[in-house]
Amino acid sequence: MALHSSMLTWVNAAGLAESLYFIIALPLLGAFISGVFGRLLGRANVNLLATAAVAGSFMLSLLVFAAINNAGVTAPNPFGDAVPYALGHDYGTWFAAGGFRVNFGLAVDHLSGTLLLVITGVGTLIHLYSTSYMEHDEGYWRFFAYLNLFVAMMLTLVMADNLVLLFVGWEGVGMCSYLLIGFWYKNPAYAFAGRKAFITNRVGDFGFLLGSFLLVLMVAALPAQAPSQAGRLEAGAAQVGPLNLRGVGALATALPYSAAKAPGAEVTLESRVASGPLAGFTYGGVLTAALLLFLLGAAGKSAQVPLYVWLPDAMAGPTPVSALIHAATMVTAGVYLFCRLSPLLVLSPAAMATVALIGGTTALLAALIAFTQNDIKKVLAYSTVSQLGLMFLGVGVGAFWAAAFHLVTHAFFKACLFLGAGSVMHGNGDETDIQKLGGLRKEMKVTWATFAVATLAITGVVPLSGFFSKDAILHAAHTHVVPGFEGAMHVAYALGLLTALSTAFYMTRAYVLAFEGERSKDAKVPHAHESAAAMTAPLVVLAVLSVLGAAWAFPLLPGTHEPVFENFLLPVFSVTEQVRAAAGTVLVPDHAGLPWGAYVQAWVIALIGAGSAFFLYTRFFPSRAGQPLPAALAFARNLSRNKFYADELYEAVLIRPLKFVARLAYQVLDALVIDTVAVRGTAWVTAQVGSALRLIQTGDVQAYAAIMAAAALGGIVYALSRVMP
Amino acid sequence: MIPLTHHLILAAVLFCIGMAGVLVRRNALVVFMSIELMLNAANLTFLAFARDRADAAGHASAFFIIAVAAAEAAIGLAIVISVFRSRGTINMDELRTLRN
Amino acid sequence: MSVENVLFWVFALGIVSSAFLVILARNPVHSAMALVGAFFFLAAEYVLLWAHTIAVLQVLVYAGAIMVLFLFVIMLLSLTDADLQPGQVTLARVVGGASAAGLCLVMVETLSKTKGAGQVIAGEQTQVFGTLAEMGRVIYTQYLFPFEAVSLLLLVAIVGAVVVAKARI
Repeated sequence: MALHSSMLTWVNAAGLAESLYFIIALPLLGAFISGVFGRLLGRANVNLLATAAVAGSFMLSLLVFAAINNAGVTAPNPFGDAVPYALGHDYGTWFAAGGFRVNFGLAVDHLSGTLLLVITGVGTLIHLYSTSYMEHDEGYWRFFAYLNLFVAMMLTLVMADNLVLLFVGWEGVGMCSYLLIGFWYKNPAYAFAGRKAFITNRVGDFGFLLGSFLLVLMVAALPAQAPSQAGRLEAGAAQVGPLNLRGVGALATALPYSAAKAPGAEVTLESRVASGPLAGFTYGGVLTAALLLFLLGAAGKSAQVPLYVWLPDAMAGPTPVSALIHAATMVTAGVYLFCRLSPLLVLSPAAMATVALIGGTTALLAALIAFTQNDIKKVLAYSTVSQLGLMFLGVGVGAFWAAAFHLVTHAFFKACLFLGAGSVMHGNGDETDIQKLGGLRKEMKVTWATFAVATLAITGVVPLSGFFSKDAILHAAHTHVVPGFEGAMHVAYALGLLTALSTAFYMTRAYVLAFEGERSKDAKVPHAHESAAAMTAPLVVLAVLSVLGAAWAFPLLPGTHEPVFENFLLPVFSVTEQVRAAAGTVLVPDHAGLPWGAYVQAWVIALIGAGSAFFLYTRFFPSRAGQPLPAALAFARNLSRNKFYADELYEAVLIRPLKFVARLAYQVLDALVIDTVAVRGTAWVTAQVGSALRLIQTGDVQAYAAIMAAAALGGIVYALSRVMP
Repeated sequence: MIPLTHHLILAAVLFCIGMAGVLVRRNALVVFMSIELMLNAANLTFLAFARDRADAAGHASAFFIIAVAAAEAAIGLAIVISVFRSRGTINMDELRTLRN
Repeated sequence: MSVENVLFWVFALGIVSSAFLVILARNPVHSAMALVGAFFFLAAEYVLLWAHTIAVLQVLVYAGAIMVLFLFVIMLLSLTDADLQPGQVTLARVVGGASAAGLCLVMVETLSKTKGAGQVIAGEQTQVFGTLAEMGRVIYTQYLFPFEAVSLLLLVAIVGAVVVAKARI
């Protein structure tokens, strides 16, 4: 995908690099104007402004994307010379402490360029969709302000060139997610859903911060122990510190995996830290701990076990919010973070195995829950959690390009599915229960078509983009070998296969119940009507993208034999590849063309899943309507419908003790000790002492004189006792 | 010949008797008289030391003390009369306007 | 045991007993008379100390003028029988009396322990020591300023006494 350099000589790369902040500034400005002046401007103006802001960012992102493909780009490369095809600018130091410096820096390479296009492109479509979806809502200006702000924060996250600025975007999207989930705040349940999302995210953020701190400490401990390696690290990082993405790469290359791989190195991952707060631990151990903490952070943001519980509740927000935030963009932040930390990740096979297992477990767990959900948005929410689990699985086995590819294709088809669900709700009087829908195939043609295409994409029955991206991950799980953790990898692969089967099943179930068959007798409105063009046009665009995305899975470029997308991301992961090859922690077999055998296997699994769901829900269950399920199946169904009681478990184990401690602190510590004893007690003691001392004021002058005389006598006696022999 | 300390002790005893009178007696006039006793004790001390050092400065001091005592007695008694006129009593137990 | 010693003890006894009478007498007139007696004994004591002028002034000013003033005021206030009752024994009074007694003890104790406590007065006196001429010389030369200040003080005292004691200004 490297466009010819001659086409882009008119782009001044250095000037473009300096203007990268415009991409963030446009939606930020839009958010400010919509938020402050929205009511004055009126609905039409706010719609235009918000959509135009994001569309403007999209244009700029296209320009930047074109520029970074220019093979001869001369702008300063923020990632170091090892990573070509990148563009960036350092806007100055934010803060510095000792040898540790954090900048305001923005950087775009192939990975973040792709994500820029996804965020701004899908974002524009969703803004367009929202202009019609929210046309009857009173707080439209607030909605678009939050939405624009979210886009700005997500762009900050993706374009940041160091972990601290990334964290700013990370927190920002968390906040916007809270604001948007609880958008209809007058309903307490929705507000609580927003709060739950924010607090769960916060737990993850805690992990993120601790991971960063460990990285900083690890780098700080190096100069004392290994001066030459530390010197190379500092030179490689160009004095920007270990939290800069360039510094991450430099750290990964500076620390060899073991003494066997790099004889003669002063410090390897196996050696122990000599001084400082980490003394006694091995560098490898510290690195693994840091990565696991980052995993906690990513689990919070990308809804993995154990912090996924917020995502299904987040469906309380308006559907465009679910489409943008909880399908296409925010939830992918965790995967993006791991892609950026990939040089360090491949140095720790333990962390990789953990990531893979967490991803696989989450994928299967969410898929099993989605089997029995009747709310269409909940089905899609659990589907998102499940697909994110697959992306984490991809990261955990070392197939970073595959995870990123699935991220992009998932953005397309999941957004299409969510927007389609919104369209269905809009046309059926806000009905979300799929058991009360049915027969929409005839009544909402465009929505039906796009939903069907997206369902095919996610299930893989027809090999569209989702099929190839999912299979790339599964194939990598099968063929990549992590010495020492083969068992974990096999388990992860099995989980992935089961998830693929389950995905086909539940998505087909949802589709069949909603669109096929006859209209349900419990439907709210007698006839569904198709939605406005502003809503259906984005659906069509996204469906087309879901189809076209498949093209990137084939080795279409001349002279290469890996898929287009993998080739595209090679520069991004070049440092990772280098480190992996040197350390030998993940063994990747050479590409010998496309894995047709695996493709056929995956297609068969998808057919089985989809076919069985289709058969069950169109023929089997309707023919047995009214008959109760056998006890074992009913038990399984209840378990799945109640989300395996995860929320109840958290409530009992975490939340109730926490509330108890909080109540204790409030009643005992605050109300009793501080308020009553310390504050009012002090006042009471003072008053009592004052009352006691008041009794001395008799008004009797002789009494005063008597006291003076007594005191004088005492003083004289004391003085004389000191002086007299 | 009488040692100096005898005079000094006499003055000290006189002073303490006067102080006891100031602190214990109820009648304001008796309190005043006790104050005069204390002043005289000081006078005695001054004169004893003057005799001891053959220095006439002690006499000058005693002279001034007598003058000041006279002035103080005059004004003090005027105040006592004023108090008696306004409150009808010179009983120290009843002159308690400084009370809380 | 010279005459001077005997006289000293006699006068000392007189002073102390008069003083006790002053503070212990119930009738203020009795106190005033006792005070006059004390002043006389004190004047005699001053003579023993070769302070003749001061002794004379003591009698003239203290016993003569101040005590007369006291007696005038006592008469003026015409105390009733109720005023002549003994005072209440309050804590303040007990503390005051005890402090005075304590102070007395301490001072006596200290003074008797000072160096040269038993030594007889040794200063050489000239014939003019304590005479009016000598005192005049000292006051009008060395202590002229205090003298003038005291006269100002007396003026203030006169004006003040008149102002304070007037019924209507």
